[in-house]
Amino acid sequence: MPKVTIDGKEIEVEAGANLIEAARRLGIEIPHYCYHPGLSIAGQCRLCMVDIDKAPRPTIACNTLAADGMVVHTETDRVKETRRSIMEFHLINHPLDCPVCDQAGECWLQIYYMKHGLYDPRMTDEKVHKPKAVPLGPHVMLDAERCILCSRCVRFCDEITGTGELGIFSRGDRSEIGLFPGQDLENNYSGNVVDICPVGALTDRDFRFQVRVWYLDTTKSICPGCARGCNIDVHVNRKRPHHAGGRRVARLKPRFNDAVNAWWICDVGRYGFGSVDDESRIRFARQRGQDLTRDDALGLVIAALRDHAPDEIAILASADLANEDLFALRRLAEHRGIRQVAFRVPPATPAADDDFLLRADRHPNSRGAEIIGLDGDAAAILARCRAGSIKVLWVIGHDITAAGWPARDVADALEHVGSIIYTGTNDNGTSALATLVLPLAAWVERDGTFTNFLGRVQRFRAAVEPLGDALAGWDLFGRVLGALGGPVAGGRAELWFRELARTVPAFDGLSYQSIGDGGAMLAGAAPTTAPEPPARRANAAASVAEVSR
Amino acid sequence: MSNGAPPTSSRPPTERAGLAAPATIKFSPEQLAEVRRLQGLYPDARGALLPVLHMAQDTFGYLSLEAEAYVAGLFGLSPAHVHEVVTFYTLYFQQPKGRHVVGVCHNLSCHLAGAQDILRHFEARLGIARGETTDDGRVTLQAVECLCACEAAPMAQVDDRYEMQLTPEKIDRILDGLR
Repeated sequence: MPKVTIDGKEIEVEAGANLIEAARRLGIEIPHYCYHPGLSIAGQCRLCMVDIDKAPRPTIACNTLAADGMVVHTETDRVKETRRSIMEFHLINHPLDCPVCDQAGECWLQIYYMKHGLYDPRMTDEKVHKPKAVPLGPHVMLDAERCILCSRCVRFCDEITGTGELGIFSRGDRSEIGLFPGQDLENNYSGNVVDICPVGALTDRDFRFQVRVWYLDTTKSICPGCARGCNIDVHVNRKRPHHAGGRRVARLKPRFNDAVNAWWICDVGRYGFGSVDDESRIRFARQRGQDLTRDDALGLVIAALRDHAPDEIAILASADLANEDLFALRRLAEHRGIRQVAFRVPPATPAADDDFLLRADRHPNSRGAEIIGLDGDAAAILARCRAGSIKVLWVIGHDITAAGWPARDVADALEHVGSIIYTGTNDNGTSALATLVLPLAAWVERDGTFTNFLGRVQRFRAAVEPLGDALAGWDLFGRVLGALGGPVAGGRAELWFRELARTVPAFDGLSYQSIGDGGAMLAGAAPTTAPEPPARRANAAASVAEVSR
Repeated sequence: MSNGAPPTSSRPPTERAGLAAPATIKFSPEQLAEVRRLQGLYPDARGALLPVLHMAQDTFGYLSLEAEAYVAGLFGLSPAHVHEVVTFYTLYFQQPKGRHVVGVCHNLSCHLAGAQDILRHFEARLGIARGETTDDGRVTLQAVECLCACEAAPMAQVDDRYEMQLTPEKIDRILDGLR
């Protein structure tokens, strides 16, 4: 393993590491635009120049592998002057539209100009003008004038999705990125090009002009869009809610985890948070359309569970619930002897796995629900409802009127049930028919854990307050359980997780501390790695074919 | 959280780009054999992209988007990549060009030797500006960069020939010879 010296500090790195990564490990930041650890080396922006002993002139750090005995300097006068000149070059034609640019505040042109530029501009000529506000497909907006041609987005489409929509057209100072005329950027990972764009050239059509980035707060979370459990940051706008019409969740951004999703997330997950601040959110409990206090509503649930025989009660739990919620629900069912508990309600239109991260199972916690022991037969529950043997049907989150069951069967079943309790975050066809409705907190409004399809347990954290009287699942089920005399773990999600880890062997040894930010595997589950991007798999297949030819 | 996934890019690019099926954009079997021969000359078949694009331009008149997509298909490349190459080089025509192409050098040597007057004379005789094509489709006029014949300035390339030490009279003779 090569040992290099960077700015007087020695470090040993693995063979194949470049100087940017070696320096990063020493806490030294070598500025760069085109280099991205998830993409190939382009050497296009020239900003990462460093001095290397015995080299006649500054060298780009991204394309220089750390070699044994190499002595590198990142802060010589020559390097500083080189950076300043390169910044001046990058900014020659850059428009001064920071005040109306969505990237402002998280723009690497701004950051590096302040850190490494600070020159007096010498440009007196008219700048080259290029197309502005050009939609590239449903999610991405292009401003060609702001682009510094780093080619990250082009490489992303070539090397990750393999869809190759983007290119750099024309040449010299007329070069601009774009799509083949008439084509759209319509792959399910298009939002990632906005993340990796270091400047304001590619912005997010959903986020554009909602709120300035410096008003955002960031919370570590897990994407609830499918069974993969991609690691994300939730960006919420608490400081200027009036700027975005009261919308609290501003955007979701991928959070690096090389065991799950690496640097990427899909568009289905990225833009799937709309329900959180939607009009259809349930804020307060209600009985046949009349608002109820939370305690009155809980009282009615408690009475329903107490006054009916366990055989007359069925619960349709949800794989959108956290492990903590599902465990509290299991305790409640056990305490009352309710055996008819299931969570798999078939979707109206079955989805499919895509070729990268997105899973057909669009629920984040099916594996958790399965292991915690709520995997009953939902179709059998529906049949028993139709037969008239269920008096209380408690539906959590699902819209069974829009599920993959025949509408007539569902209508027939609901007609024969005495009372329908609906608990969920948003109103739907089922809540409209329910006798009693109780609000649940959305995933961004509470702490908890999901178990992904490979058995990785991952934490998400509260980013905003629950709306109205909404409670987290563990809290709601725990209050009912407590009133019925059952064993309550406590008033925090973590306490329920502790009980879960003590009770269910697969969770043995896990704690919020051991899960941390990166997640931890269930007992006996093999460690995971992020899947190979489709383009890499295609290339590997092609080279195998080449060899065997 | 069950959202419908947006459509993925499974459809062929030409179809997504809303282009007509390239019925008329097709090489002959002999040309396809030549494409394969050219591709075999390079460690990476992509190296043959430039000559194949020239073939396409000679065959189809100019490099329409359909032609770009067709060539992309022959190389297993995305049409965007072929478009990068076509827009980079000025010798590829993205619009229909005239039967004859006149490229007048306007770099330093030719400029000092009166290239602007030469260009103006071409423009006056043809009734078009540089970059344009005559209405009858006879001649496309371009101002081009150095063609490595400074000793013969001012000069121009007319189709595949160099025309050197140009004068207005010589230009008239040349244009009269272009049908």
